[in-house]
Amino acid sequence: MSILTIKKAKKMLGDARALRGLSLDLEKGEIISLVGPSGSGKTTLLRSMNRLIELDSGSILFQGENIADMDPVALRRKVVLVPQESVMLQGTVKENVQYGPKLAGAVGKCDVGRCLRDAGLSPKFAGKDAEKLSGGEKKRVALARALALHPEVLLLDEPTVGVDPKKVERMEGTILKFAREKGLTVVWVTHDVPQALRVSDRIANLKKGVVKEVTNASEFRWEGAY
Amino acid sequence: MTGIPYTWEEGLVIMGIMMVMLVIAIGLSVWKKIGIAREYTYAMIRGGLQLFAAATLLYFLFEFEYWYYPIWLLLIAMALMGGYTSARRAGKMPKAYRITTPSILVGGTVVLIVLRVSGAMPFKPQFVIPLAGMVFGNAMTICSLALNRLTREFETNKPTLETMLSLGATPKEAMEEYGRMSIKAALIPNIDSLKTLGIIFIPGSMAGLLIAGTNPILAAEYQIIVYLMVIGGGIITSIMVIALSRRLLFTKAQQIAEWV
Ligand SMILES: Nc1ncnc2c1ncn2[C@@H]1O[C@H](COP(=O)(O)OP(=O)(O)OP(=O)(O)O)[C@@H](O)[C@H]1O
Ligand SMILES: [Mg+2]
Repeated sequence: MSILTIKKAKKMLGDARALRGLSLDLEKGEIISLVGPSGSGKTTLLRSMNRLIELDSGSILFQGENIADMDPVALRRKVVLVPQESVMLQGTVKENVQYGPKLAGAVGKCDVGRCLRDAGLSPKFAGKDAEKLSGGEKKRVALARALALHPEVLLLDEPTVGVDPKKVERMEGTILKFAREKGLTVVWVTHDVPQALRVSDRIANLKKGVVKEVTNASEFRWEGAY
Repeated sequence: MTGIPYTWEEGLVIMGIMMVMLVIAIGLSVWKKIGIAREYTYAMIRGGLQLFAAATLLYFLFEFEYWYYPIWLLLIAMALMGGYTSARRAGKMPKAYRITTPSILVGGTVVLIVLRVSGAMPFKPQFVIPLAGMVFGNAMTICSLALNRLTREFETNKPTLETMLSLGATPKEAMEEYGRMSIKAALIPNIDSLKTLGIIFIPGSMAGLLIAGTNPILAAEYQIIVYLMVIGGGIITSIMVIALSRRLLFTKAQQIAEWV
């Protein structure tokens, strides 16, 4: 069953044609990697999927429903974005992780230590000032913050850039586990082709605002990808 | 009854002497290359002409039996002027006058109604016009400060705002803290002048009352009443302009507006 369907999505940003009629279909529980050159529209696609930006034309269906007809807040709690830039909200790491659940009125069900561990951070970080963390630590708080919402679809925009290899392993492990055990669907933007090969079921190759090719990870040839 | 110790012809002579002093001062600033001479001269001529025009209007209004007919026009004109002036402080926000004008109008009008009902403002042009000027003037200043701060916060904190939205915040929740900060910042000048009232700062209307020979205690009492009301109007205006700005800062789909 497809959980997200993107049909002929077009989007202009300034005078750049960021998406030029992009189509893609996502199966529930799969991990799909998006690869492709800088400026090919990967970030733009993720941002339209949880409706931080509006498409100029085309449509995106989530569980069969056009997201343009959905309540944006309800959508963003199910299709959760971990942005390319990890911006920390003012306050402690714990407050950052609890931010989403608190707004949803579910802060009681939020296990901060668990979310942090899943994201490759020690629970000892909970009391730290989030804005003073290192780049790699912020990346992991951003993942923990997203996991705290118990998403159905996780949109990851280069989530492991600047994170040390050991913690990257931990992050990849968590996401794989969530996909296999909880049916989490993951869209994973990365420039790290070996990572894409490690984590994904399928790899979509973006170029100039369209999906040029989708292959099973095992058949991916990366000569043509960039 | 005027409290001013000379006739208006003598006043012209005094003004002439002041002009000479000012010309010397401006000459000094040209010599020192401070670079304000042109703007200062322009501002002085413009301000002076505006004040005399207003005085002429007041002169006739004070004499006019049916002064309260045109007064509504004057109040609306004040709100419109204030709204347009304030909107220019809203950075790139398009059509900001649509939120500044109603905010200033409501803040100012509420205060004038309270002043009238409480008896602090007799329904006479001598009271209504200067008080309305103060109330609307202050509402405009506060509106500009609040909106200017808010649009700047949005421009610099766009990534933070988007992060909040992407974690399921509504626009109202996402901008709450920035809105609060903007209102607070806009009220600082008012609060500071309240604190220094009477120490380094004798406000214009009290100065006016003293010159006209009012008992200082009564003058101070009146000043405080007026001051509290003026600030009250500013608070209403700032809260309203921040609340209304949400429609312009976010889209219907709860995204940050493209102009930010
Ligand atoms: N706010 C913006 N205003 C104007 N143009 C933009 C804006 N954001 C992105 N673009 C342009 O849209 C195109 C797609 O950008 P996008 O960020 O989606 O690329 P990307 O595939 O994520 O690249 P990267 O791998 O470098 O992150 C680029 O040409 C970019 O310059
Ligand atoms: Mg990108």
